[in-house]
Amino acid sequence: MLLCLPDPPADFCFPSSPSFGIERMMDRVTNDIAARASRDELTRLLAAVSRGDRNAFSGLYKRTAAKLFGICLRLMGNEAEAQEVLQEAYVTVWSKADRFDPVKASPITWLAVLTRNTALDRLRRRNAASEDLSEAAEVEDDRTSAFAILAEAQDATRLYHCLGTLDGRAQAMIRSAFLDGANYPQLAEREGVPLGTMKSWIRRGLQRLRLCLEQ
Amino acid sequence: MTDERTPADGPRDLAAEYALGVLTGAELLKARELERTDAGFRDEVARWTGRLAPLLDEVDGVAPPDAAWAAIQKRVGPSASNDNNTVVLSRQVARWRGIAGGMTAVAACLSFALIWTLPRTQTQPAPIEHSAPTPAPAPAPAPMVAILGDQGQAAKVVASWDPAAHQLVLAVAGDMKTDENHSHELWVIPKGGKPSSLGTMSASRQMHMRLAQTLAKLLENGATIAISVEPRGGSPTGAPTGPVIASGALTQA
Repeated sequence: MLLCLPDPPADFCFPSSPSFGIERMMDRVTNDIAARASRDELTRLLAAVSRGDRNAFSGLYKRTAAKLFGICLRLMGNEAEAQEVLQEAYVTVWSKADRFDPVKASPITWLAVLTRNTALDRLRRRNAASEDLSEAAEVEDDRTSAFAILAEAQDATRLYHCLGTLDGRAQAMIRSAFLDGANYPQLAEREGVPLGTMKSWIRRGLQRLRLCLEQ
Repeated sequence: MTDERTPADGPRDLAAEYALGVLTGAELLKARELERTDAGFRDEVARWTGRLAPLLDEVDGVAPPDAAWAAIQKRVGPSASNDNNTVVLSRQVARWRGIAGGMTAVAACLSFALIWTLPRTQTQPAPIEHSAPTPAPAPAPAPMVAILGDQGQAAKVVASWDPAAHQLVLAVAGDMKTDENHSHELWVIPKGGKPSSLGTMSASRQMHMRLAQTLAKLLENGATIAISVEPRGGSPTGAPTGPVIASGALTQA
């Protein structure tokens, strides 16, 4: 089951539920074929944006804004901040499009990661406002990771397979951290466990995940 | 607080946790430090980011409101003059750097960083945002720079003003600490005029502000930009009440 916008570019089709079954995998295969075509289109647009082409920027926005705004909403939890993060992300795209390397990442993945990192920075500033200001001060000029993705992985089928080998708790925590932007203290509080326990769950989960992914 | 670190613990785990986004406090700062200094760590973070990125496909798309695109277009600046500005501004600053021989290296780096970020990115919304409709740009006026130094002439803040975009960017070079009862307030003082507040400064090392037309027209060649220490939240009177800790003149370098 796919949710698509009217006249969708392929990247706008998303599985309607995060199930892990064969149905999902079939969906992804279908998606992947269509995605390849739009991947080339987005790569071309990003290259044009890096040369300052405003029409390309507009085209890129039309094709990707819904996806990226969804990510902003999911992480920020409210529309006002989600909009600000979206703006910030596209302003970054405009100025840093030359950092996109099609060999290392698909354009939509690069955009999604950049958007997620922009949202994370903001979440950290929000958290830091009440805790440690030194965290906030560092965030701004420190965006190295916003642009760096290594190609070797990005294999959805493999990731879901390996996530499936973790115990349900670790799986859920890792997913929540990545998709909701929850940090250690927030996850510990939400689950009602000591911070150390939460760290241990997630660290072990990540270690097992790595072992599985590296096989 | 118990912290049951598991055996194979080390930078590799930290990279995974950093990519996942769960770190806070000292661990977050340590990860940032490693990210800056350790290429191996950076690669590991990038690898993890790539591994986890497919999860983002699960997020349903939501069409953003039309206002978002309008705001983005506004923030990336008026179409024609943008790229020229970059070149013009860097050239001007290069000249100005040659003149200001006594300037500290830190300030030099900062002004350079500013030039790089100024024309196209406005990454951080300023805490004080005087929003104003961007006027249709006349023949683009030249960007200006001010080095705000203390009485010992040490550069504390580099201010860069782009009249076309109404954008003021501040980069803090020196020590600008304040306590919780005080704020740093930013002022513009036109030649022979009275100080007008541009708002209080945030704790960050870099600030971007878009100024309203009424304030923007005060930032002319020769105007002074100054920072005073005020009660938290800013001067209660609308004029500077505390000591001025840094000031400098705007020059069309």
